[in-house]
Amino acid sequence: MAALKIPKPFYEASTQFKNWRYSPQSLAQVRSSLNAAAVAVIRNTFEADEPGSSSAVSFLAPDEELLLVRLYVSKITQLCGFFRFPEEVEATAVSYLKRFYLKNTVMDWHPKNVMYGPPMRSLTALFLATKTTNNPISLEAYTNNIPKTNPSDVLDLEFLVAQSLGFEFAVWHAHRALWGIWLDLQNAPDAPPNRAASQSEVYDTALRHVRASRLSDAELIYTPSQIALASLSMASPELMAEWAASKFPADSPSLSMLQSTLASITTLIESAARPVDVEAVRGVDLRLKLCKNPEKVVGSKAYLAKKAEEERKAEEKRNRKAAVDVQGAMEEGDPFGDELAGRLVDYDDDDDDD
Amino acid sequence: MDAVEKANTERQKRWVKDQKVGEGTYAVVYRGREASTNRKVAIKKIKVGQFKDGLDMSAIREVKYLRELKHQNVIELLDVFSSKTNLNLVLEFLDSDLEMIIKDRSLVFLPADIKSWIAMTFRGLEFCHRNWILHRDLKPNNLLIASDGQLKIADFGLARDFADPGYKMTCQVITRWYRPPELLYGCRYYSTAVDIWSVGCIFAELMLRTPYLAGESDMDQLKTIFRALGTPSEQEWPGHTKLPDYVPMGQFPKQPLRDLFTAASADTLNLLGQCLVYEPRKRITAKDALHHAYFFALPYPSHPTKLPKCAAQLTAALPLEELDGNTLTGKTSRLKRKLTSPSDDTKTRPAVARRLDFTKPTPGS
Repeated sequence: MAALKIPKPFYEASTQFKNWRYSPQSLAQVRSSLNAAAVAVIRNTFEADEPGSSSAVSFLAPDEELLLVRLYVSKITQLCGFFRFPEEVEATAVSYLKRFYLKNTVMDWHPKNVMYGPPMRSLTALFLATKTTNNPISLEAYTNNIPKTNPSDVLDLEFLVAQSLGFEFAVWHAHRALWGIWLDLQNAPDAPPNRAASQSEVYDTALRHVRASRLSDAELIYTPSQIALASLSMASPELMAEWAASKFPADSPSLSMLQSTLASITTLIESAARPVDVEAVRGVDLRLKLCKNPEKVVGSKAYLAKKAEEERKAEEKRNRKAAVDVQGAMEEGDPFGDELAGRLVDYDDDDDDD
Repeated sequence: MDAVEKANTERQKRWVKDQKVGEGTYAVVYRGREASTNRKVAIKKIKVGQFKDGLDMSAIREVKYLRELKHQNVIELLDVFSSKTNLNLVLEFLDSDLEMIIKDRSLVFLPADIKSWIAMTFRGLEFCHRNWILHRDLKPNNLLIASDGQLKIADFGLARDFADPGYKMTCQVITRWYRPPELLYGCRYYSTAVDIWSVGCIFAELMLRTPYLAGESDMDQLKTIFRALGTPSEQEWPGHTKLPDYVPMGQFPKQPLRDLFTAASADTLNLLGQCLVYEPRKRITAKDALHHAYFFALPYPSHPTKLPKCAAQLTAALPLEELDGNTLTGKTSRLKRKLTSPSDDTKTRPAVARRLDFTKPTPGS
């Protein structure tokens, strides 16, 4: 790139480039350490609940978690079709979900029933995406259209999802890059007249490949324009070559590097396009029911214990605060004056200073 | 505790809230500091629990865009963390804003000072536009001034990415006095030119020391514009009579800018005029503005550290209401001034726009 004197691309200033870009190895590494940490925590919780109980549990492996995430991603696509959301909403929600599961494990946050109801994480990621892409819909209208879902189910998780994303809401998408390349091709000096219409099937096919890429890890490894270009080359190697020729000198080393990148992306897209083995997923899902973190299962012993502990801490904090406030009022001279009235223990106090 | 919650707690610990400096319906602003360095910061705590649709749109926009933008003339978002049901934005600490400075009668502006502020505004704005972001609420009150004199564009609560051509956007944006005529006529397809008009109004206000086009209602705003700049002809602004909310306003003759801005140089008036061109497509872009002769002619722009500062800025303990002038209240003379000024409507106006945007049930804003 430096040899071509191309200024640093704007993309490199984005949070996507800086914080959500992995090599295939680092991605595997992130997932396996997340998985190992989760298994350790859940094992402890089981043991605390009933010593010896964790040895009977078969925890999910990283690949198995990934299998479920792929399934959740495909559910987002279905939901977006139902709501007729723009492509940007769908692509953004999918990115959010993938990023979410690089910070959280499926075993901690498992939906009640993967196969029959859309998982709550997906619903929240999608709802958040409608807002961050400026396509807001009221929560009521949203949940009314999804069976067995309450507004609070979505809202309760919104913070967790936003936190997991590091509050980095902007996502750059391959379908936009493809559109840009397609516009470039229409403007090419020797483009046939009315290419937009005469070769529209190339664009449509490439777009299908971009959509398939969403089921893969491609966006966590490659840039949107690389994915778009790979999709174009799958649809029409000739048009890809024409575009590349307009951007790079024929003997450019970048060109051969690009070819090998595109080949790797093509492999990812092709494997993502194969249908998910429903039986395998069902098996993983069944095992998940037995190994998910009991602290997150409403009503379980571990869940109740965790809640009680949280309540105890909050109470302690309030008491401490009240003691300080009363003392403060005393020191100011009149413990029965107006001052105190306004300083009674405030259970809604959301100040986090102390 | 989950890794994500843990990371959040760690972020939270990096920052200390020192003093509440303003409170409004949707946000509380604290002056604070970074625990390890004592660097001064502003912490804007947004109460999220009260919104039935969760995280609200203006908070989301602000976080989304400021997360991506790093530029000397754009306010820096240092961190974001949540605490219970609140969202906390940690922003760089800025003592005052251009509105305070304009209204401080004890200050004298040199042409070089105005050139410096406008140059910094265009630099920040050019960066936003280069990143495909429309600000949609530029006004002196949203141009904050750092202690070293640097001007920073703030309040991205109404910002959005450019839409594709043919994709509708809401016209209920930009505080009225800074709103371009195409939006007042209900135009739903627009671009960076809307922000440029606002800069033109701010430019004029710096010279006049009073808002240039201060209409009392949306209708009156158009009349005020036309009274100053003349009713546009079909030739000047092709197609404007076809805009959704077009109404004939009567014929007003064009007043030469020279008549009002008697002391301004020809370059100054040329750039001002190019910001206030009726036809949005012919309005100057931020990039072209930065290359305008005005910035290369004498006097050169004042160095930021040499710019006039208001007295209040020199004394400590300022309120930070400028972080969100729409919602916060403070206890200083600045607030009093705001309450008595007709710009009071600016307190509700953007809020209305936000609400409209927010409840919109269908895509298209």
